[in-house]
Amino acid sequence: MGAVGIVLAGGRSSRMGAPKAHLEWHGVTLLRRTVGIVGRAVEGDVVVVRAPGQDLPDLPDDVEVVDDDQEGLGPMQGLAVGLRHMADRAALAFLCSTDLPFLHPNYVRRVLAGFDDDTDAVVPRARGHRQPLAAGYRTTLAPTVERLLADGARKPAMVLDACRTRWLSDEELLADPALAATDPELTSVRNINTPEEYDAALAEPLPQVTVERFGTLARDGGRGECQVAAATLGATADAVGITLDRHVVAALNGERITRDPATPLVAGDRIAFLSADAGG
Amino acid sequence: MAGGYFNQALLVDLGTGHGRTVPLPDEVLRRYLGGVGLGTWLLHELSDPSVDALEPASVLAFVFSPLVGTPLTTSAKFAVVARSPLTGMLTDALASSHFAIAGKLTGHDAIAVQGRCERPSVLLVDGDGPRLVDADDVWGRSAEETEAVLGQRFGGGWRIAAIGPAGEAGVRYATISHDGRHAGRGGLGAVLGAKNLKAVAVRAATKVAIADPDGVLAAARDLRERSFGPATAKYRELGTLGNLLAFNAINTLPTNNFGASTFAEAPALAAEELHDLRHVARASCASCSIGCEHIYATKGGGSTRVEYENVYALGPLCGVSDPDAVLSASARCDELGIDTISAGGTIAWAMSCAEAGLLDLPWLRFGDGAALLRALDEIADGSGIGPLLAEGSARAAAQLGPAAQALTVTVKGLELPGYDPRTLPAMALGLAVNARGADHNRSGAYEADLGGELDRFAPGDAHVTAAIETEDRAAIIDSMILCKFLRGVFEEPFEEWSELLTLVTGWLMDGDELRATARRIVLAKRMFNLRAGWTLADDGLPRRLLDTPVTLESGRTVRLDEPTLTRMIAAYHRGRGLDGDGLPDADAYADLCLSDDLPDPARPGSTNPPEPPATLQPTGARP
Repeated sequence: MGAVGIVLAGGRSSRMGAPKAHLEWHGVTLLRRTVGIVGRAVEGDVVVVRAPGQDLPDLPDDVEVVDDDQEGLGPMQGLAVGLRHMADRAALAFLCSTDLPFLHPNYVRRVLAGFDDDTDAVVPRARGHRQPLAAGYRTTLAPTVERLLADGARKPAMVLDACRTRWLSDEELLADPALAATDPELTSVRNINTPEEYDAALAEPLPQVTVERFGTLARDGGRGECQVAAATLGATADAVGITLDRHVVAALNGERITRDPATPLVAGDRIAFLSADAGG
Repeated sequence: MAGGYFNQALLVDLGTGHGRTVPLPDEVLRRYLGGVGLGTWLLHELSDPSVDALEPASVLAFVFSPLVGTPLTTSAKFAVVARSPLTGMLTDALASSHFAIAGKLTGHDAIAVQGRCERPSVLLVDGDGPRLVDADDVWGRSAEETEAVLGQRFGGGWRIAAIGPAGEAGVRYATISHDGRHAGRGGLGAVLGAKNLKAVAVRAATKVAIADPDGVLAAARDLRERSFGPATAKYRELGTLGNLLAFNAINTLPTNNFGASTFAEAPALAAEELHDLRHVARASCASCSIGCEHIYATKGGGSTRVEYENVYALGPLCGVSDPDAVLSASARCDELGIDTISAGGTIAWAMSCAEAGLLDLPWLRFGDGAALLRALDEIADGSGIGPLLAEGSARAAAQLGPAAQALTVTVKGLELPGYDPRTLPAMALGLAVNARGADHNRSGAYEADLGGELDRFAPGDAHVTAAIETEDRAAIIDSMILCKFLRGVFEEPFEEWSELLTLVTGWLMDGDELRATARRIVLAKRMFNLRAGWTLADDGLPRRLLDTPVTLESGRTVRLDEPTLTRMIAAYHRGRGLDGDGLPDADAYADLCLSDDLPDPARPGSTNPPEPPATLQPTGARP
């Protein structure tokens, strides 16, 4: 059974002054992007854990939303709800917060690859900090987290002290060639908490992706590869003059087929635009 | 009488030359429409499914449809239906040409043959009924030459469907063709060859009434306009070969007998490349406004039509990247009258066997274009490895033993088309359960895998639903008949198709009726197969696909998980209303309108040969 994804959408966003889930990120919301990136890296389902009554932006149909019915207990409560919800679907989960606009699927894969039979949690110490909100957890930890919560614990770090945690250094993370090639600065864990951080993040260059068009979509000199700077599939299509209507689909890195313009892209992605009619 | 029909089929006894009319009541025509649907019903009624396809008692039917002869674009199509000598089960193959129009306007909704000619013959059918004439001067010739010679002999107005040398020689994947369009899969040409019937010539003799001629004309204008739109652009601009590079990019281009799902040298065979270097012309079938046929120059000054399936099977599947060799092989298959997919699939299997030391053929290696051409020549002239390969890969492997059988990639004995099931789970199911065997035309489930709505690496219930839905759509479009390349222009296909049929027939049809019709046609095919010896165990995919994973560019390994496939097949059976023996309930069976009782799965092939319908009337004789 493949790993699942848990994205925590709760939190007050008090320093940001606006709900992080709704922040615009190059044409999509930040939550949509984070959910999409996690979904690209895990084989199982993705669930969003939200605060009671929290308004969320539009999400893909296959993303579940569960309510954290106890307000004010912080991300540890979200961790408990998410792990409990996914316990019967997969042994492993990647959990993260919403505010990781540079999260890369290769980071998620690298973290999940850190599990072995003797590990309950895989947590990077990246960019000088522990990263419990961009980490992997065994879903059987749900009762442990719930017990700690009942005992008054509020920080995910306390869970890590109570289970078999494997810590991953920058060097260990970057020993993965795919991650080293696509996110050498480990910006995957760069979160945004203030308007200034948000503005600075938005000002960063867009991901460079490789585009190839096939068949009739390659007419008028469109054959061969080209490079495009774009954060979403929709922006990429626009950049090469393709309309993502029912006659067109895109293959993401030769694997996932989609025409959802909100599909998030990251550095190193390869996009193949194809005719949706594969008859022959 | 409903518009678009003559309410009768012609059944010709090739032993005597006598023809008989088989009444086709409205009740049957409305239930089965025409094409593969009506052909399936006719095979049930006229033949014993347990009779070997190459025995004289087998029946082969050319079946037309209510839309044939109307101005609706792509409607000039006919189906050929028989028990397959390759699979032992029902096979139905379509072709598009003026043969469909002339054949129907002989005054019949179908022309069926049974028995065996005393000597090589041609069957002529027109307003004077059927008669047999000698074929000595065309026996041994290609279908194209045969059409030319007989056209000269018979004069104007005749349309001639013929077999090539492969059909005469009993190659189990021989085709029947007219005007270069082949009814390709399942070995129908070998059935005609076994009957000593080189060709069937038809000439229009009458007209067919249409319920609402003005309505049909308006619908035809509208459909024609839509056929120029984006839904058919791929076919117009590059043809089906436009799939090749795209499929390679998404790991679904079977290569080296399914040893891989990408072909590093694919660009050399791509439409984008060949179009610039070799494109000669574009052509259309009769009554077609799409024009999907792309003609390419071959080495030596010739030219040939090129389709994705031809290039896939004779190129990547055999590891051959030399366009001269692939195009020459494709042209050679057309000349011989053999199905390119089964030819390529069988040769690719033999290459695997040679590589594994199971066949002592050091010259037969993946990637060797000369070896590919030599293998085709030996199939054609019966020399060397030819007789073994003429059996198709499944039968050939059975002669060599389990190690060779483990290298086959067939479903129900039919070699796979160019869609890798390991990366297309809905298509995997469609291929596994289809009545004709591994078939991309009767199951278009790849649409679901590649449509962007489903996760093609996480198969589930939605993929099963999609496989059923696309199989249903194919059942209708192959029975009306329209070209599948037109399907993208329909946004609500069942509803829009029912409107077209209502205009032609006068029956007030709707989408729900057509959905029920589709289910009925699919079920009727399965019931024929059950009588022919099919069991539920025949629904599945070959071991080689289950045992050989595919590695994606990302390094991720995907495999066709057998328990998952088994669950999907079971869900498909439930979705089709079949019980554990593959049988429907009594009501569903009664709805098939068949003369025979529900078959007994414990006694496959036990059905007694049906008596000819009491109403058959003689209509002609050997001159």
